[in-house]
Amino acid sequence: MISGPHLIGDYTNRFWFPESASSFSDQVDSTFMLVLYICIFFMVPITIALAYFSIRYMKKKGEPAESQTSHNTPLEIAWSVLPSFLLVWIFVKGALGYLDQQGAPDGSDAVAVKAFKWGWTMDYGNGVIHPELHLLNEQPTKLTMRSSDVIHSLFIPAFRVKRDIVPGRYNEMWFKPTVASERVSESELEAAWKDAKENNGGVFDREKYQFTEDGYRFHDLYCTEYCGKDHSMMQTVVVVHETREDLNDWIKKYSGRTDQSPAEYGKLLYERRGCASCHSLDGSKRVGPSFAGGFGSEREYVGGGKGIVDESYIRESILEPKSKIVAGYSPVMPSYKGQLSDDDIESIIAYLKTMSK
Amino acid sequence: MAEHAVGRSRGFNPGKVAEGDNYLKHSSGLLSWAFTLDHKRIGVMYLVGVLTAFFGGGLLALGIRGHLMSPTGALFASNDTYNQVFTLHGAIMVFLFIIPSIPAALGNFLVPVMLGAKDVAFPRLNLTSFYLWVIGALFFVGALLGTGLDTGWTFYTPYSTTTQTSVILATMGAFILGFSSIFTGLNFIVTINTMRPPGMTWFKMPLFLWATYSTSIIQVLATPVLGITLLLLIAERTLHIGIFDPEYNGDPVTYQHFFWFYSHPAVYIMILPAFGIISELISVHSHKHIFGYRFIAYSSVAIALLGFLVWGHHMFTSGMSSLTTIIFSALTFTVSIPSAIKVFNWLATLYKGSISLTTPMCYAISFLFLFTIGGLTGLFLGVLSVDLHLHDTYFIVAHFHYVMMGGTMVAFLGGLFHWWPKISGKMFNELWGQVSCLVVFIGFNMTFLPQFVLGSRGMPRRYATYDPEFAFLHQLSSVGAFILGIGLLIAGLVLLHSMFNGRLAPPNPWGGVTLEWQCTSPPPFYNFSRPPVVGDPYDFTGLGWSEQDQNYVFLDPIQSPDEAQTTKPVSQPAHAGGQG
Repeated sequence: MISGPHLIGDYTNRFWFPESASSFSDQVDSTFMLVLYICIFFMVPITIALAYFSIRYMKKKGEPAESQTSHNTPLEIAWSVLPSFLLVWIFVKGALGYLDQQGAPDGSDAVAVKAFKWGWTMDYGNGVIHPELHLLNEQPTKLTMRSSDVIHSLFIPAFRVKRDIVPGRYNEMWFKPTVASERVSESELEAAWKDAKENNGGVFDREKYQFTEDGYRFHDLYCTEYCGKDHSMMQTVVVVHETREDLNDWIKKYSGRTDQSPAEYGKLLYERRGCASCHSLDGSKRVGPSFAGGFGSEREYVGGGKGIVDESYIRESILEPKSKIVAGYSPVMPSYKGQLSDDDIESIIAYLKTMSK
Repeated sequence: MAEHAVGRSRGFNPGKVAEGDNYLKHSSGLLSWAFTLDHKRIGVMYLVGVLTAFFGGGLLALGIRGHLMSPTGALFASNDTYNQVFTLHGAIMVFLFIIPSIPAALGNFLVPVMLGAKDVAFPRLNLTSFYLWVIGALFFVGALLGTGLDTGWTFYTPYSTTTQTSVILATMGAFILGFSSIFTGLNFIVTINTMRPPGMTWFKMPLFLWATYSTSIIQVLATPVLGITLLLLIAERTLHIGIFDPEYNGDPVTYQHFFWFYSHPAVYIMILPAFGIISELISVHSHKHIFGYRFIAYSSVAIALLGFLVWGHHMFTSGMSSLTTIIFSALTFTVSIPSAIKVFNWLATLYKGSISLTTPMCYAISFLFLFTIGGLTGLFLGVLSVDLHLHDTYFIVAHFHYVMMGGTMVAFLGGLFHWWPKISGKMFNELWGQVSCLVVFIGFNMTFLPQFVLGSRGMPRRYATYDPEFAFLHQLSSVGAFILGIGLLIAGLVLLHSMFNGRLAPPNPWGGVTLEWQCTSPPPFYNFSRPPVVGDPYDFTGLGWSEQDQNYVFLDPIQSPDEAQTTKPVSQPAHAGGQG
């Protein structure tokens, strides 16, 4: 269990903000505070006047007011025009801050982001795809983002950045992380894995331990454009590595099947590549059919016809998911063509076979 | 000469309404209401309708807050249910409650009476508006009973073109409600343009009429765009015409432009009438001339027009070009000035007034506090770099609830209490009315102040579940919501109680000088037995309190009605250039 608020992601002692962890966040925070002071500058006198007048000028019914002044043009022009200067100030400050966030500098790292209902895949090139966003500290990074279904929005509170991801176009954003993520000790990580295996069927719950399965502390990454049922579950994490070697080691670790069996690797792909958000392992119906007992069973298709779930059906469903839809489901799965290697697909098939024994 | 005669003859006390003339009772039976053309009865039917919608939307709000008591969701088994609940809460509150609340319910009752007229310009169109509202509401109920609705009240594509829920039913409902809104606006524009009585020039209109007029302009100009948008959405969903859905070469951002081109001005459809109410309430209960009449009147029109140019600020993160985004940010700040002017003017009206802290006045003072917070927090969102952080977080939720609920809903309640004696003919319990205001005020702030902090700390909106670090603020907000619910319940009970046990209302219980206080409470079905005499709507000189009648009367020697009749009317009515 969570033993204290200091363990919670992005928790800080600051009242208004989460941790400040990108080159933009101080600028955003200082502009926010400037606007806040301007608001207090207006709000306090207004509230005092409101309360004071309401009590000071309370009179018995029928007593005439002390004054019937109906207007004072110079005063009214003054309070219409003078606040405008403050508005121009904060507008310019906000617009400049906004322009800073446009156009990534040359030499930025690049990560291709794909958002889907309800998960993320980050493409690090060379076929390395993982739901977590891993970055190098002090290195500008550009995200090229696309969506395979509806509008999503990528929000990293600790970086103070947000951008919608609109299907049918590529939206870009960039930032420079300034705080490297801590790494927990090996013993702590082992204890967490042991707990996960004993109490959670081997599924690593990073919210529970507040570090990733590789032992890194993280920043939250949220979807902030409503996208349906599990919108609130469409979260992943951002890990900032101290050195390029550390980042490359992490990427290498996920660059394909190493010494696992295909079925073991298929299970990892199931967790990492978004299968889990729509296909259950316990027979329950989600957006798509469950994987439990799926392999080898007979399925009826939407629009008539039926067939056996075999190797070629699974392969077709991954690459051209809309060609044969199981009756009772909607054609909503995006194609994974070009995103999964032959070995990946074989691993997934091997994993599915283990679910039907 | 005219000033003098006007000043005294308006003191005429209308006395009590003859039992047979009371608009509530002069005819009876269901059909006498269902087919009525009387603007007051239509207003009352709207009032019942919007309050029912408010009650339903309010229960859904409590459902939302109840669910969010726990990070994993305390109430609903599935996230789908939560999504449907917040969608319906938003859609019902926006389309069925806030938009028609003040203009259609209070406006229908007040506009003709404030003009000294017998009815609106097109009474049949008025009744049509009401039935369109009912039909639109039935479509929403249909969507609710059918497969529900889970798109959010904004119906963003392509989610809305692909979800399995009743999008078509709900958008048809909103489409029909749009026509109800357009017809009401049209009716008021014509009524105010053509039916002002002799002597009531534009700048002698009560400010509520200025606000209603500005609102009507937006209703007539903006609502058709919503109609077009929703029809295109239906066409996209059924025929795949390829305008909003990228699968058919459409562009989802186009939908957002279309939608906010209506829905941003619609924000002013919601708040402008509230400004009108507050101008009346502050002035009448301070018994002091409204300060800066012209600035308030012009600022309503300015808001109505500038409101058409700022829709892009709902889309700062959607990937518009930098230049467009910056221009929209600059335009957004221009709208804040007219709203600020009003707040300053209302404060100046209180200064050196003779303030009665009646229930309506308590609500008006609450409004000033809450709306100022709502308006000022809008500045954060207009500032581009800060908006990138705050967009689509709870900060937005808190901001618009301060404006829409702390602003419009509180003003609506204040107005309802203010005109309740006129509408129902009964006085309510003052103490319990004040208690309701206090509880609403406390509950409201407790609900929505924590949400500003939630938002700036990064809590996204429309989340059925959330990370545990946000739990405390969410729970605080939920407790506040239940207090708020209790406050509103008290307010409702106070009004219900008055209908059965309230003392009979005098014609002028607060000391107003606009024309509705010159007819009886409640008014006869024909409103005025003789044309009321028009003066400055905020000239409170000579008004005194009669303890015996619990009524405000003019202390000047009062002319007999017959004498008043002999005052020579001006030869030309105001709209033909007379009495400029």
